[in-house]
Amino acid sequence: MGQFWKILKFELKGYLHNKVFVGITVFLVVVLALVLFFPRLMDVLGGDDSDSPEPAGERDVMLLKGGDERALAAFTEAFPEYEVRLEDGDVQSPVTAGDAACAVELASLTSFTYLVDNLSIYDNNAQRVSEVLTDLYRLTALSEAGVPAEEVERIMTTEPTFEVRSLGVDQGQNFFYTYIMIFALYMVILLYGQMVATNVATEKSSRAMELLVTSARPTSMMFGKVLASGIAGLTQIVCVFGSALLFYHLNASFWAGNEIMGLFFDMPVSLLVYMIVFFILGFFIYAFLYGAIGSTASKLEDINTAVMPVTLIFIAGFMVVVFGMSSGSVDNPLMVACSYIPFTSPMAMFTRIAMSHPAGWEIVLSVGILAASCVGIGVLAAKIYRVGVLLYGSKPKLGDILKTLKKA
Amino acid sequence: MIGLILEFRDIHKSFGEKKVLTGLSFRAEGGKAFGLLGRNGAGKTTSIRILMGVFPADSGEVLIDGKPIDYKRVGLGYLPEERGLYPKKKIIDQLVYFAELKGMRAADAVSACDRWLRRLEMTEYRDKRLDVLSKGNQQKIQLVTALAHDPDIIILDEPFSGLDPVNAMLLKDVVKEEIARGKIVLFSSHQMSYIEEFCDSIAIINKGEVAITGDLAEIKRDYPRDRLALRSAQSAAIAAAFPGRTELAENGELILRLGDPGEKMAVMKKLSESFDIDEVRVFEPSLNDIFVEYAGD
Repeated sequence: MGQFWKILKFELKGYLHNKVFVGITVFLVVVLALVLFFPRLMDVLGGDDSDSPEPAGERDVMLLKGGDERALAAFTEAFPEYEVRLEDGDVQSPVTAGDAACAVELASLTSFTYLVDNLSIYDNNAQRVSEVLTDLYRLTALSEAGVPAEEVERIMTTEPTFEVRSLGVDQGQNFFYTYIMIFALYMVILLYGQMVATNVATEKSSRAMELLVTSARPTSMMFGKVLASGIAGLTQIVCVFGSALLFYHLNASFWAGNEIMGLFFDMPVSLLVYMIVFFILGFFIYAFLYGAIGSTASKLEDINTAVMPVTLIFIAGFMVVVFGMSSGSVDNPLMVACSYIPFTSPMAMFTRIAMSHPAGWEIVLSVGILAASCVGIGVLAAKIYRVGVLLYGSKPKLGDILKTLKKA
Repeated sequence: MIGLILEFRDIHKSFGEKKVLTGLSFRAEGGKAFGLLGRNGAGKTTSIRILMGVFPADSGEVLIDGKPIDYKRVGLGYLPEERGLYPKKKIIDQLVYFAELKGMRAADAVSACDRWLRRLEMTEYRDKRLDVLSKGNQQKIQLVTALAHDPDIIILDEPFSGLDPVNAMLLKDVVKEEIARGKIVLFSSHQMSYIEEFCDSIAIINKGEVAITGDLAEIKRDYPRDRLALRSAQSAAIAAAFPGRTELAENGELILRLGDPGEKMAVMKKLSESFDIDEVRVFEPSLNDIFVEYAGD
C-alpha cells in the first residue's frame, strides 16, 4: 500500500506541476468568468444604454407587392424587425441588388411568392407570411359573410388555454445539462485516458520502466497512475464547473429571465450525485484500459493506433446516447442495452435517469455491473500492464498478450 | 548483512515456447564482485529480473543464505543496461521517488540522495531537469537510484559504458567501496577488462545454462595447460615447423598448441635449439579467451 501512495503522490504532483494542465484549467475558468460576468460588466460599463430599444432606421427593408393598406398594417405588425414598404414595380432587382432584404409578391390572399437573395436555413419568413395572410383571408371572409366586426375580432383572437403536466421528467429542461454532462464525460475520458496511456508509454520509451518494474509492483503502478489522473481530472472538472456555478450565482440577478442559463444551472442535487458516480466509474474503466494499452506500446507513436479500438467503442457509445437524446426516445432498446454494458452505461444510464424514469433496480443493476467491471478491468489491466511493460520491439499482437496473460 | 550468499539453484524460465533459462545455477558471495557473463540473448537480463522479483522462475530457487529470498529483508539495487529515468523531471525529485519506492522514508531518501550526489560530484545538478545533463552524467544519476537505498545486492549491467575515464575511475572507487562494505556486486558486462579487474568469481551463461562458473583465478589455473605463448622474430618459420598447430594472438604472440601437456619440455627444448626465441611460457588464457570458448556456439 505504501508504494501505491508514493506513486499516486508522485504522479499527481506531475499533473499539478504540468503547465499545460494548469494553463488549460485557468484558461477555462477565466473564459467562464468573462462569459458569466458579461451582463454585469455591460451594466457597469454601458450605463443606461441597455434600456434603450433597438435603434430605429437601421432595419432591413421588406417589399410588399400587390397588397393594400390593410395588408401593409398587418405585415408591419407581424414583422417588427423589418421596415415593410408597398411596392408596385419590380421587386426582384432591389432584392438582388441588396436594397431590400426580401420581398413578398401577393397574387391573392391565398397565394404569394417570397423572394430573398440567399435563403438562410433560419429564414422562416415564408411561414410567417402565410400565417399573416391566413388571418387576413379569414378576416376578410368572415366580414364578407356578414359577421359583425366584434364577433370577427373575438373569433380571431380566441385561443385555447392549456397546461402541460409532465408526469415523468421534462426532457426539454433536462436536455441541456444532460448534454453538457455527457459531453464533459466524453472529453475527460478521452483526454485523461490518453494521458494515462501516454504517461505509461513515455515511461516505457524513456526506459524509466526498467527501473520502475524492479522497484514497484505493477498493480501499485497501474492503480497509482490511474487514480492520480482521475483525481487530476476531477479536480479540473470541479474547478471548471464549480467556478461556473459560483460565477452564475454571483451574477444570478443579471441572468434572471435567461431561460437557457436557468436550464444549465438548475440541476437537481440527486442528478449531480448520479453524475459524479457515473463519472468516476466511467472514468476508471476507460483509464484502466488506456493504461493497459499504453503499456503494450514501445514507442509514443504507437499510442494513437493502439488506443483506437477503445476510443471507437467509446465514441460509438457516445453516438448512441446523443442520438437517443436528440430523438427523445432515451428508453429505446439500444439505449436500455447500452445502459447495462459497462463501457456505455455511464453515459446511457445517466441520460436515462436524467431524461426518463428507469426503475430503481435498473439503476442499481447498472451501477453494480459498472462497479464490478471496474474492479475486474482494473485487475486485468494490471496484468496486461505487468506483461506489457516488459515487451519491447515489435508491437505485440493481442494474441501474444492474451497468451502471456494466461501464464501471468 | 555482511557476508550474504546468493544462490541460483536450477532456475528454469520459458516465455511461451521459448526456453530462456534451462537449469541455471551459480553462487555469489558478499564482499566480492561476481561477473555474470554471456552473449546477447543468453539469459542474463532474465536472470536479473528473476532475482529482482519482476517475474517468478518456472522452477528452481533463488536463495539467500540458503533460504528463499525475502524481498522485505534483502534490498536490491539495479543499474539496468537500458538507462532511462524521467527526462523532464527534477533530478532530486525522481531520485527521492525511487528511493521511497525502495522503502525509504522521505527524509532519509533526501539525505541519502544528497549524499550520493556529493559522492558522485553531481550536487550542482540536484535541482535541474535530467534532460539537460550529458549522457555520462545521466548515467551517474541513474547509479544513485541503484545505490541510495543502501541495498545488500547491487546489480550493475554494463556500468562503464558511456563513461569517460575520469568518471570510470570514480565508479570503480565507488564499486570497490561497496564491495569492501560486504555487498554482493553482480556485474554484467561485455567489457572483459572490467570484469577481470573487479570480479573474483564469474558465471558464463550460454543458451540458458551456466557453461562455467567459479573462482576466476581457479578457472584460469584449471584451464588446460596445453598451449605455449612465444615471442620470436622467426614466427613464420616456427608456424611452418608446426603446421596447423599455431595461431597469432592479438598482442603479437604466437600461440602453439601442444599435442599433450606432457610434451611441454620437449617442445620448448626443440624451439630454443632451432629458433631464435625471445620469450616462451605456458599460455594462460585471458577472460576474453575463456568467454569466447564457453559462450561461443
